[in-house]
Amino acid sequence: MSQSRQINVSKNGVPVIAIMALAIIFVAGLFVVGFDQGHIFSLVYGEEAFQDLYIHELTHDMRHAAGFPCH
Amino acid sequence: MKTFLFIVIVIVSGAAAGIIHGGMNLVFVEPSLDQAIGIENQHLFATGEAEDNSEFWVEYDDYRTWQKTGQVIAGGILGVSIGSLFGIIFTFSRNTLPGKTDLKKALILAGIMWLVVYFIPFLKYPANPPTVGDPETVVLRGILYLSFIAISGFGALGFYKLSKKLKTKKFIAVAGYAAFIGIMFTVMPENPDNITAPMDLVDHFRTMSAFTVSIYWLSLGLILGSLWSHYKPHKEIPPSFN
Repeated sequence: MSQSRQINVSKNGVPVIAIMALAIIFVAGLFVVGFDQGHIFSLVYGEEAFQDLYIHELTHDMRHAAGFPCH
Repeated sequence: MKTFLFIVIVIVSGAAAGIIHGGMNLVFVEPSLDQAIGIENQHLFATGEAEDNSEFWVEYDDYRTWQKTGQVIAGGILGVSIGSLFGIIFTFSRNTLPGKTDLKKALILAGIMWLVVYFIPFLKYPANPPTVGDPETVVLRGILYLSFIAISGFGALGFYKLSKKLKTKKFIAVAGYAAFIGIMFTVMPENPDNITAPMDLVDHFRTMSAFTVSIYWLSLGLILGSLWSHYKPHKEIPPSFN
């Protein structure tokens, strides 16, 4: 019976944990490729990351090609 | 539902479509990017910020090679990211999507999402090559672009839900969404940047960019639909494995 299952599922039987995991991947991936201006590396390297823009530079070409705002 | 299999199929499809996208960009989009960055370099030489010597070009070539590998890596990351959204929506809409097979359903959803969260926002805020964007406005442009994608996506979802309540399905949803997005299209502010690069370069870049993003959505629908048809992650696991 559905009540005895250990995993929380939504109305149509999709596990909530799977949806949450994919939602986190969606947001994180979109931020890395589309919008990061040093924010993620600043968690480790501090203010310097906003000057280096490592992720911005690495994803630069895809950022333009996929239509995200860039400079 | 086979949860682990579902997640693996979504991630593999997203990564594969994303790497195809990145690879296609190397062929179709990179020439425009190189041309646009060439204009930026001429500005650097003209303003004295850089010197046109062999040292500059060696460093520049290394740097661009690194950025081009980033094109494919970022393609994989973006592919998995957008693929995850696609997987979430596919699993919730699979039973109501038209089409007899999972492949057809996935292709139809990919087409709808391509239109709603990519192509309509692209018409409002088209892609631009380097040299066009003003660094001062990048945050504003990011907010505008993301907001318009969200407005379009949630608008389509809202009208779809409304059509189900009214039981007059397609017509109300499509007409309502078209009117709504038409109004939002005129209400939302324009991209604040002036285009200073040659227009033929910008137009060519935009065409190639839209082409490869479209290939991404097509690949995503094809790959996820095929894998779903083959492995059927929606099927319940037999009780003995529960």
